[in-house]
Amino acid sequence: MLEVRNLMVFFENALALNDFSMEVAKRELIGILGPNSAGKTTLMNAISGLLVDIRIKEMRRGGERISMYGSIDYEGKDITWTDPSERVKRGIVLCRERHPVFKESSVMENLKIAGYLMPRSHIKKTLEYGLELFPNLKRLRHKKAGFMSGGEQQMLAILMGIVANPKLFLLDEPLLGLSPMIQKMVMDTVLRLRSDLSLTILITEQFARPVLPVIDRGYVIENGILTVKGTGPELMENPEVKAAYLGS
Amino acid sequence: MGILIYGFINSAILALLAMGFNLTFGISGVANFAYGAIYVFTGFLVWILINSFALGYWISVLISLCLAFLVGVFIFYAVIRRIKGMALSEVIATFGVGIAGMELFRYFGFIGSKYGLPPIFGGNVSIGHVTVDLQRIMIGVMAVLLTLFVYLFTRHTKIGLAFRAIAQDERTALTFGINSDKTVALSMGFGSALGAASAILILPLGNITVEGGYDVLLNALAVCIVGGLGSSVGIMVASGLIGYAQTATAFFLETHWMMLVSLIAIAMILTVKPSGLFSQQKELEERV
Ligand SMILES: Nc1ncnc2c1ncn2[C@@H]1O[C@H](COP(=O)(O)OP(=O)(O)O)[C@@H](O)[C@H]1O
Ligand SMILES: [Mg+2]
Repeated sequence: MLEVRNLMVFFENALALNDFSMEVAKRELIGILGPNSAGKTTLMNAISGLLVDIRIKEMRRGGERISMYGSIDYEGKDITWTDPSERVKRGIVLCRERHPVFKESSVMENLKIAGYLMPRSHIKKTLEYGLELFPNLKRLRHKKAGFMSGGEQQMLAILMGIVANPKLFLLDEPLLGLSPMIQKMVMDTVLRLRSDLSLTILITEQFARPVLPVIDRGYVIENGILTVKGTGPELMENPEVKAAYLGS
Repeated sequence: MGILIYGFINSAILALLAMGFNLTFGISGVANFAYGAIYVFTGFLVWILINSFALGYWISVLISLCLAFLVGVFIFYAVIRRIKGMALSEVIATFGVGIAGMELFRYFGFIGSKYGLPPIFGGNVSIGHVTVDLQRIMIGVMAVLLTLFVYLFTRHTKIGLAFRAIAQDERTALTFGINSDKTVALSMGFGSALGAASAILILPLGNITVEGGYDVLLNALAVCIVGGLGSSVGIMVASGLIGYAQTATAFFLETHWMMLVSLIAIAMILTVKPSGLFSQQKELEERV
């Protein structure tokens, strides 16, 4: 479904992703593991097309020089330079890091914004399903998103992604800053959504413990370079991964 | 009593003037300094359509509103797009475009006091002992209606919701397929069309002059700066404050001191609270 080939991303002269390749098959759940500044967000932005937009805006302002080499194929077509809204239409939806909700808008308004490209009927149907899944959000639907807890905001961000009707759902550090209990809730929800909606999911994380047991395959990156890849169980047995990410 | 009513109408005028400028800024962060020029452009355009092309009033108004919208969109694509995010360049570029546009009218002989727009309804009404013309009543009514319209529009239409999204977080908006260039261009268009609407409502009270464009920009800026740029509650409060202060000045001193009130208001707020009266609330209050 997705194939990233020899992707290189430079911010000025700093290399954020170095010759990175990966492939994702339909309905897989893939983990991208790596410490802070490993290049996880850069990868997600490249796949979602945000990087293309950021690059253009930096260029116009005469700001940072961003260069990208390599290619990204999605459903058999090259999308390396396709603009982000076209990718959303084709089903690539990114949920950005740090609970990306519109803080001054109510929960309902956030969900309506998320359905920008969708017909009203689709939004209505998805909300019926989604608010059933998140009874908390249903109760808080008139509350301003900025006044909710981190966990609630993350749940909302995920549901917003779902409203945008993804086939390939990209989750950038959805567990960041959440308590272990909430982290487990978020992971359970992701799994539930995956099976209910037949999603293909790419999830990034700094700490492997909550995600390693559930992913089909994973890639470990450090300083923009792929260091280890393998199936979930393979990674859990890998001594380096064990030492660095499972703390044992 | 007179001061109460005329103060209210003057506040409504200021709110109308500031509305479009504020809408564009609240959504895109672009301070459109060509705003006064668009106001003057609309005035002359309606005048030309009615007097040179012998078109009817309403059709002239409609054409002018649409053209003002297109001018706003055009300014975005031609001027702002390449420098977006550099506030000073935006101000200089839009101000330059504005001056060029306004002075072009002067160059082509649009000077003197012979240009005016007809009122929508002629006639007067009496409120208590005070006589007010219907156009001023219309201004009060339309200020309320347009505020309401903008409020509903930004909450219940796709474009309006895209406005609110871009205003808060451009990159996250992108992840839902909201094209930021297109949305910002539309916000320029809507802001300009609102400016045009205010021109059509307010110009019948006086003459259309090129100098009027500078006053409009100054008044819009005064209201937005005092209220806190981008805050819609701020606009209402600041229009009220400056509106009544101006009317009182005109009553007790002289009319030509009115403009000074705006300048003093800007100077005062910049020394006391540079971000404007309602800037804190803006953090978690609507900006649109
Ligand atoms: N806009 C940017 N400008 C300059 N450097 C950047 C930018 N975004 C990311 N980087 C750099 O790229 C590297 C990878 O960052 P990122 O992809 O955000 O890592 P992660 O998400 O894994 O924490 C880091 O060294 C970071 O400093
Ligand atoms: Mg990151």
